[in-house]
Amino acid sequence: MPPQTRGRRRPVPGFGRLGLRTTPGRVRALAAVAVLAMAGFYIVANIAVGNARDGLRVIGHDAGPQVLATGDLYFALSDMDSQVADILLAGGGSRQATAQQALSRYGQDRARADRAALQAAELSAGDPTDQATVRSVLDGLGQYERLATQALDLDKQANRPAGPPTATVIAVYREATDLMKLQLLPQAYNLTLAGGATVREAYEAKRSAASSGRVWVALTGLAVLVALAGLQIYLVARFRRRVNFALALATAVLIVVGVSALRLLSGEATQLQLAKADGFDSILTMSRAQAISNSMHADEIRFLLDPGRKDTYSLDYLYKAQAILYDSAGSLGDFYTGLSRAMLAYQASSRSVTFFGFYGEEARVHPGPALTAVLTRFQQVQADDQRIRQLAGAGHGRQAIAVLTGQAAGSSSYDFDRYDQAIVSLIGLRRATFDQAIRTGDQDLGRSVLGSWAGLLPLAALGVAILVIAGVRPRLAEYR
Amino acid sequence: MKRERVTARGRARAAEPEGHSSKAPRRRAYGSVAVVLALGLSTAACSAGGPTSVAGRQTLRIGVKADQPGLGLRLADGRFTGFDVDVATYVAARLGVRPDHITFVPVTSATREKVLENGSADMVVATYSITPERGTLVTFAGPYYVAHQDTMVRAAETTIHTVHDLTGKRLCKAAGSNSWKRVTLELGIAAILVPAPSYSACVAMLLAGTVDAVSTDDLILAGFADRAGPAVRILNAPFSDERYGIGLKKGDLSGCEAINRAVSQMYLDGTATRLLHKWFGQTRLALDPYVPQFEGCD
Repeated sequence: MPPQTRGRRRPVPGFGRLGLRTTPGRVRALAAVAVLAMAGFYIVANIAVGNARDGLRVIGHDAGPQVLATGDLYFALSDMDSQVADILLAGGGSRQATAQQALSRYGQDRARADRAALQAAELSAGDPTDQATVRSVLDGLGQYERLATQALDLDKQANRPAGPPTATVIAVYREATDLMKLQLLPQAYNLTLAGGATVREAYEAKRSAASSGRVWVALTGLAVLVALAGLQIYLVARFRRRVNFALALATAVLIVVGVSALRLLSGEATQLQLAKADGFDSILTMSRAQAISNSMHADEIRFLLDPGRKDTYSLDYLYKAQAILYDSAGSLGDFYTGLSRAMLAYQASSRSVTFFGFYGEEARVHPGPALTAVLTRFQQVQADDQRIRQLAGAGHGRQAIAVLTGQAAGSSSYDFDRYDQAIVSLIGLRRATFDQAIRTGDQDLGRSVLGSWAGLLPLAALGVAILVIAGVRPRLAEYR
Repeated sequence: MKRERVTARGRARAAEPEGHSSKAPRRRAYGSVAVVLALGLSTAACSAGGPTSVAGRQTLRIGVKADQPGLGLRLADGRFTGFDVDVATYVAARLGVRPDHITFVPVTSATREKVLENGSADMVVATYSITPERGTLVTFAGPYYVAHQDTMVRAAETTIHTVHDLTGKRLCKAAGSNSWKRVTLELGIAAILVPAPSYSACVAMLLAGTVDAVSTDDLILAGFADRAGPAVRILNAPFSDERYGIGLKKGDLSGCEAINRAVSQMYLDGTATRLLHKWFGQTRLALDPYVPQFEGCD
């Protein structure tokens, strides 16, 4: 057998220098190699499992939840401002009910914003920039509430019919809405993006670490296997004995641990990939779309509420609509046309994605009925917007306000709520995928054939080392 | 299995310089395992940036305007000054690039995409409004400031009060700029467009009477109005939000994320407010002290 002869010839140059010309010396050296290789395997597997754990922690329990919490914060903040505008537009008289409804929703939003801000503060504990941003949001929120209350109180005192409120009220509202639009919302949105960036970085780093980790676990495992086999063969040949039981057992332990480590690592990589690509990425895209949609809707309201700035609000509306779904450059009119064209093509075949923006991105990666529902309702929201602008442009301001604040299909508030619900349920679907993947990953890391990985690995390494020593000791004893 | 390993080792030894061939191969093997292992685990940290990212660079070539006072202006001695130049210098420092390792490259509105694409600039900080259309060509970090489009007319002009009064008037159309589109395309105002190579040319044409109005970002107009003195007037009727982004080669996500962090810090540590007041404190512009809402890096 070639391994025998090679086994004898091979050690000459190196072993000579180490003074290992004798048989017990060689046995000792081979055993040491096996033990050292096992130590290497242990270190490498430990690092690889640690990397997998870190990846899950960042994406599943740290930056990932930060993105969700700040998305919630943005939503609550922007909805607060929309409700204030709705109350002011509704005015007194016949629209009292609408105003009451908006007021109670404002209260709910405020509670939700407080909760989300606190959660974001906890999650951003490790990053000074994010922390300072959260603090600034909390300060601004208090200031906003004061201004909003002031505007609502002033408006109540004015006691007027529906339509634009008095100039004093508008002045206070402008201050409030500017604070919201210029400080609070951007900061909340930036926190979401920062969380997204942290997740992306962690994912890229951990993914490449995971694949090199798997290679190294396989290589070092193989090295241990070769060392054990070499030792076994040398003992069989040199001492003319049968198979060494302790070494065979060590080999078996190694194979079991090695194979399950590799399976664990590739399982973790799969779950991480699932959580990131099919869960997190989509949640982030859709949260951003939801945030921008809300602020787009607020621009529609402001367009009617504050005619002095209607150009800015129209252009902002267009800009945001295009960020959500971009077909081609041009005016709002061009946007409506492009949207219809793109939707017709998409409805004919979900593979024909001619548009860009958040929904273009999502449609290319995760098409499906949930996204189609979002797109259909987005289109309805735009149709309402078109009608509102036509009415306002033709001087029918009151009718335009009725279309905006009405509570039935074909009115902007109603259709926008339904659109928003479609986004929420799509995010819910992705959230379930995300949570499931993180849970599976956590569970797999927590258990293995012999209990937790943290306990199993050192035990296995120690076991192999002890078995190697136990296997060679009787042979070495023959030389004493 | 065993044979393979011996062959591999033989190859490794053959590659070794002659004099070292007697060294214990086993020890060397461990050494190299450790080295490769360390490399393998550490490449993760660098690979995210990629070779083309502005993150982790020692030097940067930054595209700025050369003819816009207050924003990006080349002085007689070749130095560049202005708000954009200072912002670019701050951001570069946050990315780990010292001021003396920055090369400023003059760009015009028309060349901004090109310099990023052909690599003659690594980033562009040049009153570069983020638009969905441009977003399909470059990656935008920021915005680092939100300006507002306004309109400048000759001081003697009495018929123009808002942008809507530009119907039938001659409006300067600076090459590569987005501002004229806002007026004629997005707001649908039927102004007569008169092409010009740059905004400095537009202002000259306004003074010469060959155009009736120059409509662009208030920060740009403020710098020119300061120079032109009482001959011109800004309407002070802003009608858009212009999000000044930092243009990067398309796809440089980690560079974009690093710049966004730097811009956040620029506002948190007070530098943004200081720079805004340094360059525009003398104007009538209302300067926003808040960090703008970022576009996000896609």
